[in-house]
Amino acid sequence: MRRQLRSRRTPSFPYSYRYRLDDQDELNQNYLADEEEEAEEEARVMVKEEEEEEKKEEEEGQGQPTGNAWWQKLQIMSEYLWDPERRMFLARTGQSWSLILLIYFFFYASLAAVITLCMYTLFLTISPYIPTFTERVKPPGVMIRPFAHSLNFNFNVSEPETWQHYVISLNGFLQGYNDSLQEEMNVDCPPGQYFIQDGDEDEDKKACQFKRSFLKNCSGLEDPTFGYSTGQPCILLKMNRIVGFRPELGDPVKVSCKVQRGDENDIRSIRYYPESASFDLRYYPYYGKLTHVNYTSPLVAMHFTDVVKNQAVPVQCQLKGKGIINDVINDRFVGRVIFTLNIET
Amino acid sequence: MVGGFSILLWVGAFLCWIAYGIQYSSDKSASLNNVYLGSVLVLVVILTGIFAYYQEAKSTNIMSSFNKMIPQQALVIRDSEKKTIPAEQLVVGDIVEVKGGDQIPADIRVLSSQGCRVDNSSLTGESEPQPRSSEFTHENPLETKNICFYSTTCLEGTVTGMVINTGDRTIIGHIASLASGVGNEKTPIAIEIEHFVHIVAGVAVSIGILFFIIAVSLKYRVLDSVIFLIGIIVANVPEGLLATVTVTLSLTAKRMAKKNCLVKSPEAVETLGSTSIICSDKTGTLTQNRMTVAHLWFDNQIFVADTSEDHSNQVFDQSSSTWASLSKIITLCNRAEFKPGQENVPIMKKAVIGDASETALLKFSEVILGDVMEIRKRNRKVVEIPFNSTNKFQLSIHETDDPHDKRFLMVMKGAPERILEKCSTIMINGEEHPLDKSTAKAFHTAYMELGGLGERVLGFCHLYLPADEFPETYSFDIDAMNFPTSNLCFVGLLSMIDPPRSTVPDAVTKCRSAGIKVIMVTGDHPITAKAIAKSVGIISANSETVEDIAHRLNIPVEQVHQRDAKAAVVTGMELKDMSSEQLDEILANYQEIVFARTSPQQKLIIVEGCQRQDAVVAVTGDGVNDSPALKKADIGIAMGIAGSDAAKNAADMVLLDDNFASIVTGVEEGRLIFDNLKKTIAYTLTKNIAELCPFLIYIIAGLPLPIGTITILFIDLGTDIIPSIALAYEKAESDIMNRKPRHKKKDRLVNEQLAVYSYLHIGLMQALGAFLLYFTVYAQEGFLPHTLINLRVEWESDNVNDLEDHYGQEWTRYQREYLEWTGYTAFFVGILVQQIADLIIRKTRRNSIFQQGLFRNKVIWVGIASQIVIGLILSYGLGSITALNFTMLRAQYWFVAVPHAILIWVYDEVRKLFIRLYPGSWWDKNMYY
Repeated sequence: MRRQLRSRRTPSFPYSYRYRLDDQDELNQNYLADEEEEAEEEARVMVKEEEEEEKKEEEEGQGQPTGNAWWQKLQIMSEYLWDPERRMFLARTGQSWSLILLIYFFFYASLAAVITLCMYTLFLTISPYIPTFTERVKPPGVMIRPFAHSLNFNFNVSEPETWQHYVISLNGFLQGYNDSLQEEMNVDCPPGQYFIQDGDEDEDKKACQFKRSFLKNCSGLEDPTFGYSTGQPCILLKMNRIVGFRPELGDPVKVSCKVQRGDENDIRSIRYYPESASFDLRYYPYYGKLTHVNYTSPLVAMHFTDVVKNQAVPVQCQLKGKGIINDVINDRFVGRVIFTLNIET
Repeated sequence: MVGGFSILLWVGAFLCWIAYGIQYSSDKSASLNNVYLGSVLVLVVILTGIFAYYQEAKSTNIMSSFNKMIPQQALVIRDSEKKTIPAEQLVVGDIVEVKGGDQIPADIRVLSSQGCRVDNSSLTGESEPQPRSSEFTHENPLETKNICFYSTTCLEGTVTGMVINTGDRTIIGHIASLASGVGNEKTPIAIEIEHFVHIVAGVAVSIGILFFIIAVSLKYRVLDSVIFLIGIIVANVPEGLLATVTVTLSLTAKRMAKKNCLVKSPEAVETLGSTSIICSDKTGTLTQNRMTVAHLWFDNQIFVADTSEDHSNQVFDQSSSTWASLSKIITLCNRAEFKPGQENVPIMKKAVIGDASETALLKFSEVILGDVMEIRKRNRKVVEIPFNSTNKFQLSIHETDDPHDKRFLMVMKGAPERILEKCSTIMINGEEHPLDKSTAKAFHTAYMELGGLGERVLGFCHLYLPADEFPETYSFDIDAMNFPTSNLCFVGLLSMIDPPRSTVPDAVTKCRSAGIKVIMVTGDHPITAKAIAKSVGIISANSETVEDIAHRLNIPVEQVHQRDAKAAVVTGMELKDMSSEQLDEILANYQEIVFARTSPQQKLIIVEGCQRQDAVVAVTGDGVNDSPALKKADIGIAMGIAGSDAAKNAADMVLLDDNFASIVTGVEEGRLIFDNLKKTIAYTLTKNIAELCPFLIYIIAGLPLPIGTITILFIDLGTDIIPSIALAYEKAESDIMNRKPRHKKKDRLVNEQLAVYSYLHIGLMQALGAFLLYFTVYAQEGFLPHTLINLRVEWESDNVNDLEDHYGQEWTRYQREYLEWTGYTAFFVGILVQQIADLIIRKTRRNSIFQQGLFRNKVIWVGIASQIVIGLILSYGLGSITALNFTMLRAQYWFVAVPHAILIWVYDEVRKLFIRLYPGSWWDKNMYY
């Protein structure tokens, strides 16, 4: 009896209730913990509070066969999970749990308020029209169409199902370039100079027309198979949009393709549409998605009219012009794009 | 290198390699990132392992160098030549010679001896020197006279013997093996760290598995889920923490070494701090280990002598002419002499030839009377009879220094009752009075009183031999005893004790207020033990033992109510008959306990008894007989000067100055380091949440990964290391010596509050701050937060090279990756900035930072500076090394998380304020860690 009393600390001890688990582990081991001088007083104070608990513990201690440690541990565990006597779940009563949850609710609510405030401030400092910095997205990257998860163009001229999806993809891509649509939405601005539109950044900007017909043989208007049916595939090249990017004045960005590795004569001729093989200055600068709504990226179509057949030909198309970098080692899509043509007949 | 976190990291590394294997088998050009990561993890494990080993080896070195300072030599006869060899090279059958003053180099059987006496006190506890000869006297090797034991000391004479046992096979070796049989239990701090590792590993594994399942059920590929798992593990494991803890502990160990506590393993530092019972040896630890005059009785009065270390303050009345006579006897009837050549040494420190009590008397008289040798010269010694155990007295006859007085003066000292028998008169106030019943009674009362103080009492008497019977030319013959040895004049009593060190009572009081129970365990006599215990406060002035109560109430001991007594004196004899339950009862019920006349085994039993009560037991001792107890104790403390090698080997700590008060310093350091480790761990755990959240958000919301695993390693092993060590230099918040020792099982290093507060409060705030910075960087580059959600698949696709951002700009894969690394760097800086705030708030747990002083701990600022410098180097110096995933960061991003850092500081101040305002409240219970 006395021993058991001594093994308990005063209720005022900050952690006592929480370490029931540890306590009970020691149940059968003559657990004489405290040497404090107040032990005696404590004992007296605590007699009432602990009598009940004690009885229970004694019963437990005697009722179970000693040495059945697993069973005991399980018992302790289940009591920790749910103690029916004191109505405690995970060593806390319902009241204690609700208090905890309430406090955490308020704490997290105020944290949420703080982060909301912070995010709001962040949005205040950021213009929805113009990006704050653009240095990470420069110099522009290059991408080609059609694109279907792969930069290898393998198809057999005589088997339409091997190239049909290229045609569908190109057709879909060029819907926005239809002449009728372009004429309706966009303006025909003078070539060879920037299409600069002053005004507030939130003002809507006009976009220059880029008509599908500019692509001539690769527009799919005359040859709806874009040359794939004849083994002369069209590939469209698109320079990544960058807000505010302007190529050097008077020196539009040009596209030039050649065999990347191997015999240079594997591509005997390429036709470019527009014939200048360049992106006209009037399509720059770009004012951002929100105001420059109908902006259509200029394209350069490459028409591989006489590629060596039945072998893989690696092709590298590079942008050339001032302010363009096309030899970044780590990034194979900045200023250049590499793809292979493997046309079977 | 295998336990705890290391296992987790190994698992992480293997998962990395497996992931790469799977990637490689499906795509030959798979990136080597996972291989690098795996290798880095293994490197981390190996480096921390090597580091821990190095630290361990360094602290072991301290000890081994210490051992080498006292190599033991033995004089052995080999090949008919006398050689001096190291004692460990002796073999059974060697013939060794040992002379007075030497240590016995092995167990030897005596072949021949000349007046050899050995001091077996360290082995058996007998304080009397034991004679040794070649006779076989007893079956029991411990009792027979013809065996000398290893490590005991030959006090006088010479002995030649044959080695019969060496090393571990000696009797001492057996005791030592009794000690080594006592298993090396884990130190409390090791248990705490294990507990903490379990918590963290549990959190890591359960979150890892939970999110693995979530990831799989969200239709992520298993391979990706495995990589998430690695990230979660790396984020959760505080890689640098164990190394930090080791460094912190060894720093404290070094600091303690400066204060004369040499600690063998750094972990013992903390053990000392959690000590709740100190079992202290008496001799040498609590006492000065030298006999000193404590009381005098003359003129029917007891006088107190100063027993402090320097004897400076002798206040008793020296005007009485009785004192003049007594002092003359003390001076003259004494064979002890100072060793020559010590003119400049303080009297109390001078080396003396002579036994303990004569030395005490010599020094006593030297302090009071001045040059004793000069006095002796003036009173030339004519003849003397040295002390022997049959006579029990010592006598000498001197000429007087008064040239007109031609009488001889005979002085005598010895056992008081024998001296009294020889006297017929007694000197009171310089006049001789006949010795009647009342004076005899006064003598007995004084004798009993002094004896009751545990002091060794000597009686002094003299006689002026009549000049007519004994003329100047008289020839005294000590064999014929041609002079009177009765009807002398009794002058006084003088009692001696081995007095407590002057620092001990104060230290014991400090231990008391620190909630540490000090138990005295000694081989000495109970009365002496009790007296010393009383004088140092181990038994406090107003508490009584059962025997005291019985004596006061004049009733038999059995009738005394056990509960009334606060103190107990238990002898070895009583202990022998006790069951362990009875011992437990005593240990639990009495606050003040003295164990006297105990054997080495009993010391062990006492220590075990204390440990059964969940106490962390410190044992101090110096003798070989203490070594099993030293080893068994949670922390054994050996005496550096007086201690035997066995004791020092068994101990975890050595007090270089043999001073009990040093233990108190050690306890203070130990408690401080426990508190500071809590702070360090809280500091380290906090950022784990900030490191973990990115992975969880990444899996659930599909944002581009905010922080990479390598970056996490740079926080854990880079910027955070020095600050977390700096917390070890933090001063105590309040008087840590006024609170109780921590309970081994209840006051954990990492408790629920600490984990919850670090993870769910500060950790979460940190994560939010870092995310704010992450979102800022992305938003300013074009990806506003809402565009990031569920962007993961496209973002990470190598084929998408024209991913649109919020402004319609198109990004190549590499451009995005570079932005992602910028995000890593930003998140890293966000955590770093807030860890500075975290570091500052962790300086205290209860007090305000301003109470503690922001600038008192300079090392903290070194830590903060190191954090910033490492951060700057990583962000700007290594910006071009893409393998490390750091990029240049705009300067203004360093300040985005600053408001959050301030918020953390303010929040923690508020928490501490409420804890201080409402102690014991719900807030205190749940928010104080």
